[in-house]
Amino acid sequence: MRRYEPVFYIAPAFIVLAIILFYPLGYSLYLSFHNWTLRDFRQGVPFVGLKQYINLFSNPEFLNAIRITFIFVIAAIVLEFILGMALALLLNHDLKGKGIIRSFILLPMMCTNVVVGLTWRLLLNYDYGLVNYLLSVVGLPRLEWLSKPALAMPAVIMVDVWNTTSFVALLLLAGLQALPDEPYEAARIDGASWWQQFRYLTLPLLRQTILVALLWRFIDTFRIFDVVYLLTAGGPARATETVSIYVYRYGFQSFNLSFASAASYIMILIMLVIAAVLARLIGRQD
Amino acid sequence: MNIYRVTKVINQVLIYVFVILAVILSLFPIVYLLITSFKPPELTFAIPPVWFFEPTLKNYYEVFAGGKFVKYFLNSLIVALGTTLVALLLGIFAGYGFARFRFRGVQTLRLAALVPQMLPPITIIVPLYVLFNSLNLIDTRWALLISYLTFIIPLSIWMMTGFFMDVPEELEESAMIDGCTRLGALFRISLPIVTPGLAATAILGFIYAWNEFLYAVILTGRDARTLPVTITSFMTNKAILWGRIAASGSLVLVPVLIFALLAQRYLVRGLSRGAIKG
Repeated sequence: MRRYEPVFYIAPAFIVLAIILFYPLGYSLYLSFHNWTLRDFRQGVPFVGLKQYINLFSNPEFLNAIRITFIFVIAAIVLEFILGMALALLLNHDLKGKGIIRSFILLPMMCTNVVVGLTWRLLLNYDYGLVNYLLSVVGLPRLEWLSKPALAMPAVIMVDVWNTTSFVALLLLAGLQALPDEPYEAARIDGASWWQQFRYLTLPLLRQTILVALLWRFIDTFRIFDVVYLLTAGGPARATETVSIYVYRYGFQSFNLSFASAASYIMILIMLVIAAVLARLIGRQD
Repeated sequence: MNIYRVTKVINQVLIYVFVILAVILSLFPIVYLLITSFKPPELTFAIPPVWFFEPTLKNYYEVFAGGKFVKYFLNSLIVALGTTLVALLLGIFAGYGFARFRFRGVQTLRLAALVPQMLPPITIIVPLYVLFNSLNLIDTRWALLISYLTFIIPLSIWMMTGFFMDVPEELEESAMIDGCTRLGALFRISLPIVTPGLAATAILGFIYAWNEFLYAVILTGRDARTLPVTITSFMTNKAILWGRIAASGSLVLVPVLIFALLAQRYLVRGLSRGAIKG
Protein backbone atom coordinates (compact mmCIF):
# COMPACT_ATOMS: atom_id res chain seq x y z
CA MET A 1 0.00 0.00 0.00
CA ARG A 2 2.74 2.46 1.03
CA ARG A 3 4.52 1.87 -2.28
CA TYR A 4 1.61 3.31 -4.17
CA GLU A 5 1.22 6.39 -1.99
CA PRO A 6 3.01 8.75 -4.44
CA VAL A 7 0.60 7.70 -7.19
CA PHE A 8 -2.31 9.11 -5.23
CA TYR A 9 -0.66 12.54 -5.13
CA ILE A 10 0.92 12.76 -8.55
CA ALA A 11 -1.39 10.79 -10.81
CA PRO A 12 -4.43 13.14 -10.93
CA ALA A 13 -2.49 16.00 -12.52
CA PHE A 14 -0.90 13.65 -15.04
CA ILE A 15 -4.20 12.02 -15.95
CA VAL A 16 -5.76 15.42 -16.64
CA LEU A 17 -2.74 16.52 -18.66
CA ALA A 18 -2.78 13.28 -20.63
CA ILE A 19 -6.43 13.70 -21.57
CA ILE A 20 -6.30 17.37 -22.51
CA LEU A 21 -2.85 17.33 -24.06
CA PHE A 22 -1.38 14.05 -25.18
CA TYR A 23 -4.54 12.86 -26.85
CA PRO A 24 -4.88 16.05 -28.95
CA LEU A 25 -1.17 15.99 -29.79
CA GLY A 26 -1.47 12.39 -30.93
CA TYR A 27 -4.40 13.40 -33.03
CA SER A 28 -2.47 16.19 -34.71
CA LEU A 29 0.36 13.75 -35.46
CA TYR A 30 -2.28 11.62 -37.18
CA LEU A 31 -3.58 14.68 -39.02
CA SER A 32 -0.13 15.56 -40.30
CA PHE A 33 -0.02 12.27 -42.25
CA HIS A 34 -3.50 12.76 -43.68
CA ASN A 35 -5.27 15.36 -45.71
CA TRP A 36 -7.82 17.12 -43.53
CA THR A 37 -9.26 20.46 -44.46
CA LEU A 38 -12.33 21.96 -42.89
CA ARG A 39 -13.91 22.31 -46.32
CA ASP A 40 -14.06 18.64 -47.27
CA PHE A 41 -13.60 16.58 -44.12
CA ARG A 42 -16.97 14.91 -44.61
CA GLN A 43 -15.60 12.88 -47.49
CA GLY A 44 -13.13 11.26 -45.08
CA VAL A 45 -9.48 11.96 -44.48
CA PRO A 46 -7.21 10.27 -47.01
CA PHE A 47 -3.80 9.05 -45.87
CA VAL A 48 -1.09 10.95 -47.70
CA GLY A 49 2.06 9.77 -45.93
CA LEU A 50 4.80 12.35 -45.82
CA LYS A 51 3.25 14.58 -48.46
CA GLN A 52 2.43 17.41 -46.02
CA TYR A 53 6.02 17.42 -44.74
CA ILE A 54 7.45 17.38 -48.26
CA ASN A 55 5.19 20.25 -49.27
CA LEU A 56 6.23 22.11 -46.16
CA PHE A 57 9.92 22.00 -46.92
CA SER A 58 9.40 23.00 -50.53
CA ASN A 59 7.37 25.98 -49.37
CA PRO A 60 9.67 29.03 -49.38
CA GLU A 61 7.35 30.87 -46.98
CA PHE A 62 7.87 28.17 -44.36
CA LEU A 63 11.64 28.37 -44.69
CA ASN A 64 11.31 32.14 -44.47
CA ALA A 65 9.25 31.81 -41.28
CA ILE A 66 11.94 29.62 -39.69
CA ARG A 67 14.65 32.09 -40.70
CA ILE A 68 12.63 35.05 -39.37
CA THR A 69 11.96 33.24 -36.10
CA PHE A 70 15.63 32.51 -35.49
CA ILE A 71 16.67 36.08 -36.32
CA PHE A 72 14.14 37.26 -33.75
CA VAL A 73 15.07 34.65 -31.13
CA ILE A 74 18.80 35.34 -31.33
CA ALA A 75 18.63 39.14 -31.52
CA ALA A 76 16.05 39.44 -28.75
CA ILE A 77 17.84 37.05 -26.40
CA VAL A 78 21.26 38.66 -26.90
CA LEU A 79 19.88 42.13 -26.17
CA GLU A 80 17.81 40.94 -23.21
CA PHE A 81 20.81 39.24 -21.61
CA ILE A 82 23.14 42.21 -22.06
CA LEU A 83 20.58 44.67 -20.69
CA GLY A 84 19.25 42.22 -18.12
CA MET A 85 22.73 41.52 -16.74
CA ALA A 86 23.48 45.23 -16.55
CA LEU A 87 20.21 45.86 -14.73
CA ALA A 88 20.78 42.92 -12.35
CA LEU A 89 24.27 44.20 -11.47
CA LEU A 90 22.83 47.67 -10.80
CA LEU A 91 20.04 46.30 -8.62
CA ASN A 92 22.50 44.15 -6.68
CA HIS A 93 23.80 47.30 -4.95
CA ASP A 94 22.36 48.36 -1.64
CA LEU A 95 19.76 50.80 -2.99
CA LYS A 96 17.16 52.84 -1.15
CA GLY A 97 13.64 51.79 -2.13
CA LYS A 98 14.86 48.45 -3.47
CA GLY A 99 11.47 46.77 -3.10
CA ILE A 100 9.52 49.43 -4.94
CA ILE A 101 12.12 49.62 -7.74
CA ARG A 102 11.93 45.87 -8.22
CA SER A 103 8.13 46.01 -8.28
CA PHE A 104 8.11 48.67 -11.00
CA ILE A 105 10.64 46.83 -13.12
CA LEU A 106 8.58 43.65 -12.81
CA LEU A 107 5.48 45.25 -14.33
CA PRO A 108 6.27 45.02 -18.09
CA MET A 109 6.56 41.23 -17.97
CA MET A 110 3.15 40.92 -16.29
CA CYS A 111 1.33 43.12 -18.82
CA THR A 112 -1.28 41.60 -21.12
CA ASN A 113 0.45 40.90 -24.43
CA VAL A 114 -2.43 42.32 -26.44
CA VAL A 115 -2.14 45.60 -24.55
CA VAL A 116 1.65 45.62 -24.99
CA GLY A 117 1.36 45.08 -28.75
CA LEU A 118 -1.30 47.73 -29.24
CA THR A 119 0.31 50.32 -26.96
CA TRP A 120 3.56 50.02 -28.90
CA ARG A 121 1.69 50.11 -32.18
CA LEU A 122 0.37 53.49 -31.06
CA LEU A 123 3.77 54.65 -29.80
CA LEU A 124 5.44 53.60 -33.08
CA ASN A 125 2.78 55.07 -35.39
CA TYR A 126 4.37 57.04 -38.23
CA ASP A 127 2.13 60.11 -38.03
CA TYR A 128 1.13 60.48 -34.40
CA GLY A 129 3.38 58.09 -32.49
CA LEU A 130 5.42 59.38 -29.60
CA VAL A 131 8.63 57.67 -30.73
CA ASN A 132 8.70 59.56 -34.03
CA TYR A 133 7.80 62.78 -32.22
CA LEU A 134 10.80 62.32 -29.90
CA LEU A 135 13.02 61.59 -32.93
CA SER A 136 11.86 64.81 -34.61
CA VAL A 137 12.46 66.79 -31.40
CA VAL A 138 16.14 65.82 -31.43
CA GLY A 139 16.35 66.55 -35.16
CA LEU A 140 16.26 62.99 -36.50
CA PRO A 141 14.00 61.91 -39.37
CA ARG A 142 10.76 60.13 -38.55
CA LEU A 143 10.81 56.42 -39.34
CA GLU A 144 8.21 54.07 -40.80
CA TRP A 145 8.72 51.56 -38.00
CA LEU A 146 5.93 49.13 -38.80
CA SER A 147 5.54 49.52 -42.57
CA LYS A 148 9.14 49.22 -43.79
CA PRO A 149 10.36 45.58 -43.92
CA ALA A 150 13.84 46.56 -42.77
CA LEU A 151 12.50 48.33 -39.67
CA ALA A 152 9.61 46.06 -38.68
CA MET A 153 11.83 43.32 -37.24
CA PRO A 154 13.92 45.74 -35.15
CA ALA A 155 10.64 47.21 -33.87
CA VAL A 156 9.32 43.78 -32.85
CA ILE A 157 12.64 42.98 -31.15
CA MET A 158 12.58 46.31 -29.32
CA VAL A 159 9.09 45.66 -27.96
CA ASP A 160 10.09 42.18 -26.78
CA VAL A 161 13.17 43.63 -25.09
CA TRP A 162 10.92 46.13 -23.29
CA ASN A 163 8.55 43.34 -22.35
CA THR A 164 10.93 40.73 -20.93
CA THR A 165 14.31 42.21 -20.03
CA SER A 166 12.98 42.50 -16.50
CA PHE A 167 12.41 38.74 -16.36
CA VAL A 168 16.05 38.08 -17.23
CA ALA A 169 17.21 40.80 -14.84
CA LEU A 170 15.19 39.49 -11.89
CA LEU A 171 16.33 35.88 -12.44
CA LEU A 172 19.98 36.96 -12.69
CA LEU A 173 19.55 39.20 -9.64
CA ALA A 174 18.27 36.27 -7.60
CA GLY A 175 21.31 34.32 -8.77
CA LEU A 176 23.69 37.17 -7.88
CA GLN A 177 22.27 37.44 -4.39
CA ALA A 178 22.91 33.75 -3.76
CA LEU A 179 26.62 34.02 -4.66
CA PRO A 180 29.18 33.43 -1.89
CA ASP A 181 31.31 36.38 -0.69
CA GLU A 182 34.63 34.63 -0.10
CA PRO A 183 35.88 34.33 -3.71
CA TYR A 184 35.31 38.07 -4.20
CA GLU A 185 37.22 38.96 -1.04
CA ALA A 186 40.12 36.81 -2.19
CA ALA A 187 39.99 38.39 -5.65
CA ARG A 188 40.03 41.92 -4.19
CA ILE A 189 43.05 41.07 -2.05
CA ASP A 190 44.78 39.82 -5.19
CA GLY A 191 43.94 43.17 -6.85
CA ALA A 192 41.55 41.85 -9.47
CA SER A 193 39.77 44.56 -11.47
CA TRP A 194 35.98 44.88 -11.67
CA TRP A 195 36.00 43.32 -15.13
CA GLN A 196 38.22 40.44 -14.06
CA GLN A 197 35.92 39.70 -11.12
CA PHE A 198 32.91 39.75 -13.44
CA ARG A 199 34.55 37.67 -16.15
CA TYR A 200 36.29 35.05 -14.00
CA LEU A 201 34.01 34.87 -10.95
CA THR A 202 30.50 36.15 -11.57
CA LEU A 203 29.92 34.64 -15.02
CA PRO A 204 31.16 31.12 -14.15
CA LEU A 205 29.38 31.12 -10.79
CA LEU A 206 26.14 32.25 -12.44
CA ARG A 207 26.39 29.61 -15.17
CA GLN A 208 23.42 27.62 -13.91
CA THR A 209 21.15 30.65 -13.52
CA ILE A 210 22.14 31.99 -16.93
CA LEU A 211 21.38 28.68 -18.62
CA VAL A 212 17.98 28.37 -16.96
CA ALA A 213 17.08 31.94 -17.94
CA LEU A 214 18.30 31.17 -21.45
CA LEU A 215 16.11 28.07 -21.64
CA TRP A 216 13.00 30.01 -20.56
CA ARG A 217 13.73 32.87 -22.92
CA PHE A 218 14.28 30.47 -25.81
CA ILE A 219 10.98 28.70 -25.17
CA ASP A 220 9.22 32.04 -24.93
CA THR A 221 10.72 33.83 -27.93
CA PHE A 222 10.50 30.80 -30.21
CA ARG A 223 6.71 30.70 -29.81
CA ILE A 224 6.08 34.45 -30.10
CA PHE A 225 2.65 35.24 -31.49
CA ASP A 226 0.56 37.87 -29.66
CA VAL A 227 2.85 40.87 -29.84
CA VAL A 228 3.82 40.26 -33.47
CA TYR A 229 0.22 39.62 -34.46
CA LEU A 230 -0.88 42.96 -33.03
CA LEU A 231 2.13 45.03 -34.06
CA THR A 232 2.57 43.90 -37.66
CA ALA A 233 0.46 40.74 -38.17
CA GLY A 234 3.59 39.22 -39.72
CA GLY A 235 3.99 41.96 -42.32
CA PRO A 236 5.10 43.98 -44.13
CA ALA A 237 5.81 41.46 -46.90
CA ARG A 238 6.23 38.63 -44.33
CA ALA A 239 9.24 40.42 -42.83
CA THR A 240 8.05 39.51 -39.32
CA GLU A 241 6.15 36.29 -40.07
CA THR A 242 7.36 33.94 -37.34
CA VAL A 243 6.51 30.22 -37.40
CA SER A 244 3.57 30.71 -35.00
CA ILE A 245 2.05 33.34 -37.29
CA TYR A 246 2.69 31.09 -40.29
CA VAL A 247 0.90 28.12 -38.67
CA TYR A 248 -1.95 30.42 -37.65
CA ARG A 249 -2.33 31.62 -41.24
CA TYR A 250 -2.49 28.11 -42.69
CA GLY A 251 -4.49 26.58 -39.87
CA PHE A 252 -7.05 29.23 -39.09
CA GLN A 253 -7.24 31.44 -42.15
CA SER A 254 -6.96 28.81 -44.90
CA PHE A 255 -8.20 26.04 -42.54
CA ASN A 256 -5.69 23.54 -43.84
CA LEU A 257 -5.28 21.82 -40.50
CA SER A 258 -3.24 18.89 -41.79
CA PHE A 259 -0.64 21.20 -43.27
CA ALA A 260 -0.69 23.28 -40.07
CA SER A 261 -0.24 20.09 -38.00
CA ALA A 262 2.82 19.11 -40.02
CA ALA A 263 4.28 22.60 -39.51
CA SER A 264 3.46 22.32 -35.78
CA TYR A 265 5.38 19.09 -35.50
CA ILE A 266 8.46 20.55 -37.17
CA MET A 267 8.17 23.43 -34.70
CA ILE A 268 7.89 21.07 -31.73
CA LEU A 269 10.86 19.06 -33.00
CA ILE A 270 13.11 22.12 -33.31
CA MET A 271 11.99 23.30 -29.89
CA LEU A 272 12.59 19.98 -28.16
CA VAL A 273 16.05 19.50 -29.70
CA ILE A 274 17.26 22.94 -28.59
CA ALA A 275 15.58 22.67 -25.18
CA ALA A 276 17.16 19.23 -24.66
CA VAL A 277 20.62 20.60 -25.47
CA LEU A 278 20.13 23.45 -23.00
CA ALA A 279 18.69 21.11 -20.35
CA ARG A 280 21.74 18.85 -20.71
CA LEU A 281 24.05 21.81 -20.25
CA ILE A 282 22.08 22.77 -17.14
CA GLY A 283 22.33 19.26 -15.72
CA ARG A 284 26.08 19.04 -16.28
CA GLN A 285 28.09 20.55 -13.43
CA ASP A 286 30.69 22.81 -15.14
CA MET B 1 41.40 59.43 0.40
CA ASN B 2 39.23 62.30 -0.82
CA ILE B 3 39.47 61.23 -4.44
CA TYR B 4 38.42 57.76 -3.37
CA ARG B 5 35.34 59.17 -1.64
CA VAL B 6 34.46 61.40 -4.59
CA THR B 7 34.56 58.49 -7.05
CA LYS B 8 32.45 56.50 -4.65
CA VAL B 9 29.79 59.23 -4.54
CA ILE B 10 29.85 59.58 -8.33
CA ASN B 11 29.45 55.81 -8.64
CA GLN B 12 26.46 55.88 -6.31
CA VAL B 13 24.84 58.72 -8.26
CA LEU B 14 25.41 56.95 -11.58
CA ILE B 15 23.84 53.74 -10.25
CA TYR B 16 20.74 55.65 -9.17
CA VAL B 17 20.56 57.50 -12.51
CA PHE B 18 20.60 54.25 -14.49
CA VAL B 19 18.16 52.49 -12.18
CA ILE B 20 15.72 55.40 -12.35
CA LEU B 21 16.09 55.43 -16.13
CA ALA B 22 15.21 51.72 -16.22
CA VAL B 23 12.17 52.34 -14.02
CA ILE B 24 10.98 55.20 -16.25
CA LEU B 25 11.43 53.11 -19.41
CA SER B 26 9.54 50.23 -17.81
CA LEU B 27 6.61 52.33 -16.66
CA PHE B 28 6.33 54.89 -19.44
CA PRO B 29 4.32 52.89 -22.02
CA ILE B 30 1.89 51.79 -19.29
CA VAL B 31 1.45 55.33 -18.02
CA TYR B 32 1.07 56.62 -21.58
CA LEU B 33 -1.76 54.14 -22.19
CA LEU B 34 -3.53 55.25 -18.99
CA ILE B 35 -3.14 58.93 -19.93
CA THR B 36 -4.45 58.29 -23.45
CA SER B 37 -7.51 56.55 -22.03
CA PHE B 38 -8.54 59.76 -20.22
CA LYS B 39 -7.80 62.10 -23.15
CA PRO B 40 -10.64 63.79 -25.00
CA PRO B 41 -10.79 62.15 -28.47
CA GLU B 42 -9.71 65.30 -30.30
CA LEU B 43 -6.40 65.28 -28.40
CA THR B 44 -5.54 61.60 -28.92
CA PHE B 45 -3.49 62.27 -32.03
CA ALA B 46 -2.25 65.77 -31.20
CA ILE B 47 1.43 66.22 -32.10
CA PRO B 48 3.24 67.55 -30.15
CA PRO B 49 1.44 65.48 -27.53
CA VAL B 50 -0.72 67.34 -25.02
CA TRP B 51 0.14 66.35 -21.44
CA PHE B 52 -2.23 68.62 -19.56
CA PHE B 53 -5.92 68.40 -20.35
CA GLU B 54 -9.22 68.00 -18.61
CA PRO B 55 -9.58 64.23 -18.11
CA THR B 56 -12.74 62.68 -19.50
CA LEU B 57 -14.42 59.31 -19.10
CA LYS B 58 -15.81 59.47 -22.64
CA ASN B 59 -13.66 56.57 -23.89
CA TYR B 60 -14.77 54.43 -20.97
CA TYR B 61 -18.45 55.22 -21.60
CA GLU B 62 -18.01 54.12 -25.21
CA VAL B 63 -16.33 50.88 -24.17
CA PHE B 64 -19.27 50.02 -21.91
CA ALA B 65 -21.91 51.17 -24.41
CA GLY B 66 -24.00 48.23 -25.63
CA GLY B 67 -23.46 46.23 -22.44
CA LYS B 68 -21.28 43.58 -24.11
CA PHE B 69 -18.14 44.60 -22.26
CA VAL B 70 -19.53 43.49 -18.88
CA LYS B 71 -20.38 40.08 -20.33
CA TYR B 72 -16.89 39.65 -21.76
CA PHE B 73 -15.40 40.85 -18.48
CA LEU B 74 -17.33 38.10 -16.69
CA ASN B 75 -16.11 35.53 -19.25
CA SER B 76 -12.52 36.51 -18.54
CA LEU B 77 -13.07 36.44 -14.79
CA ILE B 78 -14.88 33.08 -14.72
CA VAL B 79 -12.40 31.34 -17.02
CA ALA B 80 -9.37 32.71 -15.18
CA LEU B 81 -10.76 31.87 -11.72
CA GLY B 82 -11.95 28.41 -12.78
CA THR B 83 -8.65 27.52 -14.43
CA THR B 84 -6.67 28.73 -11.44
CA LEU B 85 -8.79 26.78 -8.98
CA VAL B 86 -8.54 23.46 -10.82
CA ALA B 87 -4.83 23.88 -11.56
CA LEU B 88 -4.10 24.84 -7.97
CA LEU B 89 -5.85 21.78 -6.57
CA LEU B 90 -3.96 19.41 -8.88
CA GLY B 91 -0.76 21.39 -8.32
CA ILE B 92 -0.96 21.12 -4.53
CA PHE B 93 -1.12 17.33 -4.67
CA ALA B 94 1.41 16.81 -7.44
CA GLY B 95 3.77 19.44 -6.02
CA TYR B 96 3.56 17.86 -2.60
CA GLY B 97 4.18 14.42 -4.11
CA PHE B 98 7.27 15.62 -5.97
CA ALA B 99 8.62 17.39 -2.88
CA ARG B 100 8.15 14.49 -0.46
CA PHE B 101 8.52 11.16 -2.22
CA ARG B 102 11.74 9.65 -3.49
CA PHE B 103 11.18 6.93 -6.05
CA ARG B 104 12.75 5.84 -9.30
CA GLY B 105 12.07 8.20 -12.18
CA VAL B 106 10.82 11.06 -9.99
CA GLN B 107 13.15 13.54 -11.71
CA THR B 108 12.03 12.39 -15.15
CA LEU B 109 8.39 12.79 -14.15
CA ARG B 110 9.04 16.28 -12.81
CA LEU B 111 10.60 17.28 -16.10
CA ALA B 112 7.80 15.59 -18.04
CA ALA B 113 5.31 17.79 -16.18
CA LEU B 114 7.15 20.81 -17.55
CA VAL B 115 7.09 19.75 -21.20
CA PRO B 116 3.52 20.97 -21.83
CA GLN B 117 4.62 24.44 -20.83
CA MET B 118 7.43 24.31 -23.37
CA LEU B 119 5.19 23.42 -26.29
CA PRO B 120 4.29 26.45 -28.41
CA PRO B 121 0.55 27.17 -27.92
CA ILE B 122 -0.04 27.32 -31.67
CA THR B 123 0.92 23.64 -31.92
CA ILE B 124 -1.58 22.67 -29.21
CA ILE B 125 -4.45 24.75 -30.48
CA VAL B 126 -4.58 23.03 -33.89
CA PRO B 127 -5.69 19.62 -32.52
CA LEU B 128 -7.69 21.19 -29.67
CA TYR B 129 -9.65 23.17 -32.23
CA VAL B 130 -10.58 19.99 -34.12
CA LEU B 131 -11.48 18.28 -30.84
CA PHE B 132 -13.66 21.13 -29.56
CA ASN B 133 -15.25 21.40 -32.98
CA SER B 134 -16.38 17.78 -32.87
CA LEU B 135 -17.59 18.15 -29.27
CA ASN B 136 -19.52 21.33 -30.12
CA LEU B 137 -17.54 23.27 -27.55
CA ILE B 138 -16.34 26.09 -29.82
CA ASP B 139 -17.28 29.47 -28.39
CA THR B 140 -17.90 28.16 -24.87
CA ARG B 141 -16.06 28.94 -21.64
CA TRP B 142 -15.37 25.20 -21.26
CA ALA B 143 -13.13 25.22 -24.32
CA LEU B 144 -11.08 28.06 -22.84
CA LEU B 145 -10.92 26.50 -19.39
CA ILE B 146 -9.68 23.18 -20.77
CA SER B 147 -7.10 24.73 -23.06
CA TYR B 148 -5.77 27.06 -20.33
CA LEU B 149 -5.26 24.08 -18.03
CA THR B 150 -2.64 22.77 -20.48
CA PHE B 151 -0.20 25.48 -19.36
CA ILE B 152 -1.47 26.45 -15.89
CA ILE B 153 -1.33 22.93 -14.40
CA PRO B 154 2.41 22.61 -15.22
CA LEU B 155 3.01 26.10 -13.85
CA SER B 156 1.30 25.33 -10.57
CA ILE B 157 3.05 21.95 -10.18
CA TRP B 158 6.40 23.64 -10.81
CA MET B 159 5.83 26.43 -8.29
CA MET B 160 4.16 24.33 -5.58
CA THR B 161 6.95 21.71 -5.69
CA GLY B 162 9.43 24.44 -4.87
CA PHE B 163 7.37 25.90 -2.05
CA PHE B 164 6.74 22.49 -0.44
CA MET B 165 10.46 21.66 -0.63
CA ASP B 166 11.10 24.62 1.67
CA VAL B 167 8.92 23.15 4.43
CA PRO B 168 11.06 21.03 6.76
CA GLU B 169 9.95 17.41 6.59
CA GLU B 170 10.48 16.98 10.35
CA LEU B 171 7.41 19.13 11.09
CA GLU B 172 5.18 16.64 9.30
CA GLU B 173 6.98 13.64 10.73
CA SER B 174 6.34 14.72 14.30
CA ALA B 175 2.68 15.29 13.46
CA MET B 176 2.46 11.84 11.90
CA ILE B 177 4.03 10.24 14.97
CA ASP B 178 1.23 11.88 16.95
CA GLY B 179 -1.25 9.94 14.83
CA CYS B 180 -1.88 12.35 11.98
CA THR B 181 -2.21 10.80 8.49
CA ARG B 182 0.00 12.07 5.72
CA LEU B 183 -2.93 13.75 4.06
CA GLY B 184 -3.79 15.35 7.40
CA ALA B 185 -0.20 16.51 7.81
CA LEU B 186 -0.29 18.05 4.32
CA PHE B 187 -3.43 20.05 5.05
CA ARG B 188 -2.85 20.88 8.74
CA ILE B 189 0.91 21.43 8.81
CA SER B 190 2.42 22.12 5.39
CA LEU B 191 -0.34 23.91 3.52
CA PRO B 192 -0.72 26.69 6.13
CA ILE B 193 3.05 27.25 5.99
CA VAL B 194 3.09 27.60 2.18
CA THR B 195 0.06 29.91 2.06
CA PRO B 196 2.10 32.84 0.63
CA GLY B 197 3.46 30.53 -2.06
CA LEU B 198 -0.03 29.25 -2.73
CA ALA B 199 -1.24 32.82 -3.15
CA ALA B 200 1.63 33.64 -5.51
CA THR B 201 0.89 30.54 -7.60
CA ALA B 202 -2.79 31.46 -7.75
CA ILE B 203 -2.02 35.03 -8.75
CA LEU B 204 0.43 34.00 -11.46
CA GLY B 205 -2.01 31.41 -12.82
CA PHE B 206 -4.81 33.96 -12.81
CA ILE B 207 -2.67 36.54 -14.62
CA TYR B 208 -1.58 34.04 -17.29
CA ALA B 209 -5.18 32.98 -17.95
CA TRP B 210 -6.45 36.57 -17.83
CA ASN B 211 -3.80 37.71 -20.35
CA GLU B 212 -4.15 34.80 -22.79
CA PHE B 213 -4.97 35.74 -26.36
CA LEU B 214 -4.15 33.08 -28.97
CA TYR B 215 -6.51 30.35 -27.70
CA ALA B 216 -9.24 32.89 -27.03
CA VAL B 217 -9.12 34.46 -30.48
CA ILE B 218 -9.34 31.05 -32.16
CA LEU B 219 -11.82 29.32 -29.86
CA THR B 220 -14.35 32.06 -29.14
CA GLY B 221 -16.87 34.03 -31.13
CA ARG B 222 -19.62 36.28 -29.83
CA ASP B 223 -20.48 34.35 -26.66
CA ALA B 224 -17.37 33.23 -24.82
CA ARG B 225 -15.12 36.10 -25.95
CA THR B 226 -12.62 37.30 -23.34
CA LEU B 227 -11.27 40.80 -22.72
CA PRO B 228 -8.00 40.59 -24.69
CA VAL B 229 -10.01 39.61 -27.78
CA THR B 230 -12.52 42.37 -27.04
CA ILE B 231 -9.75 44.96 -27.07
CA THR B 232 -8.74 43.93 -30.58
CA SER B 233 -12.36 44.29 -31.73
CA PHE B 234 -11.82 48.06 -31.51
CA MET B 235 -9.52 47.71 -34.51
CA THR B 236 -12.21 47.88 -37.17
CA ASN B 237 -11.86 47.77 -40.95
CA LYS B 238 -12.38 51.51 -41.16
CA ALA B 239 -10.27 52.78 -38.31
CA ILE B 240 -8.37 51.84 -35.18
CA LEU B 241 -10.34 53.35 -32.31
CA TRP B 242 -7.35 54.24 -30.14
CA GLY B 243 -9.37 55.95 -27.40
CA ARG B 244 -11.45 52.85 -26.80
CA ILE B 245 -8.41 50.57 -27.07
CA ALA B 246 -6.65 52.66 -24.43
CA ALA B 247 -9.67 52.61 -22.11
CA SER B 248 -10.37 48.88 -22.43
CA GLY B 249 -6.65 48.12 -22.31
CA SER B 250 -6.33 50.05 -19.06
CA LEU B 251 -9.29 48.17 -17.57
CA VAL B 252 -7.63 44.83 -18.44
CA LEU B 253 -4.26 45.95 -17.14
CA VAL B 254 -5.25 47.45 -13.79
CA PRO B 255 -6.11 44.20 -11.96
CA VAL B 256 -2.95 42.58 -13.34
CA LEU B 257 -0.77 45.43 -12.13
CA ILE B 258 -2.36 45.44 -8.66
CA PHE B 259 -1.94 41.67 -8.30
CA ALA B 260 1.63 41.76 -9.57
CA LEU B 261 2.56 44.51 -7.10
CA LEU B 262 0.90 42.68 -4.19
CA ALA B 263 2.63 39.37 -4.84
CA GLN B 264 5.88 40.78 -6.21
CA ARG B 265 8.18 39.25 -3.59
CA TYR B 266 6.79 35.76 -3.91
CA LEU B 267 6.49 35.87 -7.68
CA VAL B 268 10.17 36.58 -8.06
CA ARG B 269 11.02 33.92 -5.52
CA GLY B 270 8.78 31.33 -7.14
CA LEU B 271 10.06 32.05 -10.61
CA SER B 272 13.72 32.21 -9.69
CA ARG B 273 13.83 29.22 -7.37
CA GLY B 274 14.32 26.83 -10.26
CA ALA B 275 17.05 29.02 -11.66
CA ILE B 276 19.19 28.70 -8.56
CA LYS B 277 18.48 25.15 -7.55
CA GLY B 278 18.48 23.92 -11.16
